[in-house]
Parts: sequence; C-alpha cells; structure tokens
Amino acid sequence: MEIRDVHHAYRRRVVLRGVDLRLRAGTLCGIVGENGAGKSTLLRILSGELRPTRGSVRHGGRFGYCPQHVVLNDALTVRQHLTYFRTAYRLTDVRHAEEIMDVLGFTGYADERAGVLSGGTRQKLNVTLALMHDPQVLLLDEPYQGFDWDTYQRFWDLAVRLRDAGRSILVVSHLAYDTERLDELWRLDSGILRADKAGAAA
Amino acid sequence: MRFHLTRLAVATRFTLVEHGRNRFAMILVILFVPVWTSLAYLAMPDTPARMRLRATGEALAPHGNELTAISGALNAVTLITGFMMFAASFSGGGFDRRLAMAGYPRAHLVLAKVAALALVSAAVAAYATAVICLAWTPRQPLLLAASLCCAGLTYGALGVGFGSLLRREVEGMFAIVMTSIIDLALQNPITSSGADNPVMRYLPSYGAMQASTAAGFSTSPVPGHLALQLAWFGLAALVALLGFRRSTRDCLPTASTTPPGPGSGTADIPAPRHTAGPSVTASDTTAH
Repeated sequence: MEIRDVHHAYRRRVVLRGVDLRLRAGTLCGIVGENGAGKSTLLRILSGELRPTRGSVRHGGRFGYCPQHVVLNDALTVRQHLTYFRTAYRLTDVRHAEEIMDVLGFTGYADERAGVLSGGTRQKLNVTLALMHDPQVLLLDEPYQGFDWDTYQRFWDLAVRLRDAGRSILVVSHLAYDTERLDELWRLDSGILRADKAGAAA
Repeated sequence: MRFHLTRLAVATRFTLVEHGRNRFAMILVILFVPVWTSLAYLAMPDTPARMRLRATGEALAPHGNELTAISGALNAVTLITGFMMFAASFSGGGFDRRLAMAGYPRAHLVLAKVAALALVSAAVAAYATAVICLAWTPRQPLLLAASLCCAGLTYGALGVGFGSLLRREVEGMFAIVMTSIIDLALQNPITSSGADNPVMRYLPSYGAMQASTAAGFSTSPVPGHLALQLAWFGLAALVALLGFRRSTRDCLPTASTTPPGPGSGTADIPAPRHTAGPSVTASDTTAH
C-alpha cells in the first residue's frame, strides 16, 4: 500500500496535512494517534470510503479491511455471513475462514445469529470477514476490541504468521499496545505521520 | 450467466431471511392489516358515498365503509412495506457497503432488494385482499390485489430511498408515515372534500387508489392507472438506486483483474482457493 501526500479538510478544518507511507510486503505496521489526530479520516480514505482532498492511495493486491465498529447483519448466522462474503470474494469454499475461526476460537457459533453473539465473538466474526480471502494488504482498525487476553494473544500470533507469509498489515489504534510486535510504528499527530522509532521493533 | 444468477440468488435469499426475522414487521402484517381493514369496515357508516371515479368516468355510490376499508388496506400495505424496506436499508447500510467493497456487485444487491420487495408486496397485498373478501366481495379481487401490490412496491422503494439518504431512524419512520397519511387521506372522498381536486393525480398512490376503487365497485379494467402506479414505483426505485449508490460508493476503483490466492506456501493458514473471475488486485484513489 502506498499513500502519497494525502491531505484532507472538512471545509476550512484541515485534518490531514500531507501523509506519506509505503507499506511493504511482509510488514506489520502500526499507526497510533490520540483522539482528534486524524486517524478516522485517514482510515476512511485508506478503506475507500472517502476521497482525499489531495494526494493518492494505492493498494497493490487483494485488500482486506476490518472496521473498528462491527459491521454485521444481525439477522444472519455466522455461517450465512461466510456464505455471503464467500460469494463477494468469489471463493470456492470457506475453509480459510473456518481456520481463522478455529484460531480465534469461535467455531462453535457457526449457526448462531450475529445479533445474539457477545461483543467479543462479534468482533471475531468482524475480523474473520476481513481475512477470509487471504488479503495481501490488510487494514485493521482497533481489531482486538472486546477480545479476552487469550484471544488477544492468538490474534497477534495470527498477525505475525500472516506477516511472515508476506502479507502487509496495517494496525491502527489510539494506544500503542504491543509495539515490540510491530516492524514499523508511526504516530499520527495533528494530521502529520511521523515515524516512532522508539516503539517499533525494527 | 450462472455467475450472475448465483450472486442474485444468494443476495435475494439473505435479504428475505432478514425480512423474515423482522418480527415487528411480521406482527404488523398479521395484526395491523386485518385490524385496520376490519375496523374501517365495521366502524364507518355504510351510507352510500356518491362519487365520480376518474379512472373510468363512472358515477358510483359505494358503501362508505367498503370505500374506507379499501383506503385502510392501502394505508396498511404501504406503511408495512415502507417500514420493512426502510428498516432493512437503514440498519443494513453499513453491511451493504461492506459487501460492495468486498466485491459484491451493487447491481445484484439492488436487484435482490427489488426481488424481495416484490415478494413481500405481493404477499401482503394478497393477504389484505383476502381479509377484505371475508367481509364483502369486491367486483375485481385480482385487480384489487394488483393495486395494493403496486402501492406496496412504491412505498417499499421509497423506504429504501429514505433508508439510504436519511441519517436518523426516526426521520425515516416519520417520512414514511406522513407521506402515506397525506397521500391517502387527501384522496379519500369520505374524509376529504377535496378528493376530486386535479392535484390529487400527482400523489404517489393516485394510480393505486383509482385502480383499487375500480376493483371494488366497477367491472371496468383500468390498466392505465396500474401503469401509472408502476411509473411511480420506477421513480421511487430510481431515487432508491441513487441513494444506494451514494451510500456504497467506493473511492478505490478497481484497476486490474485477477489473482488466485497467493499460495506462497509460507503461511501457516493456507490461502483460500478462488473461483475464476475478477478480483481486486490494484486499486487506487487520487484526488485532483
């Protein structure tokens, strides 16, 4: 993923002031920023929801996006969600999704409706829908919200394994958790992205 | 072709599942339609209401309670389909957007909504017609069902449009209820002294009201007014389509096609297998 000179303003209120970032293959990268730093706007641009006022974003490869707020259909079961997104992603089967469900520990909920799942399980499904087509570029917005400690650890193990398999992963968070797991850490401050070398492993 | 049919079938099936699990709407269908229609029939006086039906030019004198029952059925059908479609569109907007961004063709998602709307409208219209037929016998029951169905389609499409464009749930509910009340109350000759005003023909359910009144008390066919109602449906569907496109717009246009799963062999979790067909490989968005 390549972000070049991205600016954005809501009328006169400037939110992003020239963001540049190149996410290389096989990189696990984090962006942190305090409230109001421009994270939400940057994420909306990176996910394709919002067109920047200036600059460009390029995704090279299959793209997966896990939104911060769980986006599910409460009337459908977990299995029906997988079928719906299998059709969207044009996959022949959902074995990959089932393996992710196994890693995240919620295979037993396949026939439960999303509306009756706990917050943590809903988030697991939210993450699974973003990962089930094995994206080459993965954008995760606060992906571990609602996870218990064990699931949190397994999520990071999964992220590292995907990175090791050559996937590019960008995790966005308002706090710099587990920065030692990241290859790169960036801090978004007042609409400008700065490298935070102290927090990253490499 | 099979490729398109599969997507359309999957989206239609899940859209219908979603409507089926809307319990409040199901209760409305089961109770509201017979209660409203029966109360209108029982509570209103059966005094003949002299009127000239624009659709056929005939001078009619239907019983006031039967005329009100038809108006009540139209009101019930339009409110229910409008509410069901609005509720699904409003609460499912983010999910539709996620599906579209994941590669689900918007055309299939929209067509699935239309197919579900057609089935829901037909079922509710048939039910309302059956309830009316229990109390009295309209002259053309099939035409009555068709009129109710066309009105349901129109309000269902309006519901989708409101669901895509309005920000708050209460705004959409208010918009649907007020549109239906104003639309139908103004046309009812029992309650509105201005029911024969030429302005009425521009109301959203004018065609359905004329056709259903003809169905109740005349033997003349009125295909033109059914067509007029379908034109209103087309217009409402266009607004809904534009709203849907706006709410699911993608600023990362697909730039090229392809690729099978990565298959690098290094991932602990193996790559999924993709079917033949396009998939996103490179997307970009650039501001000018």
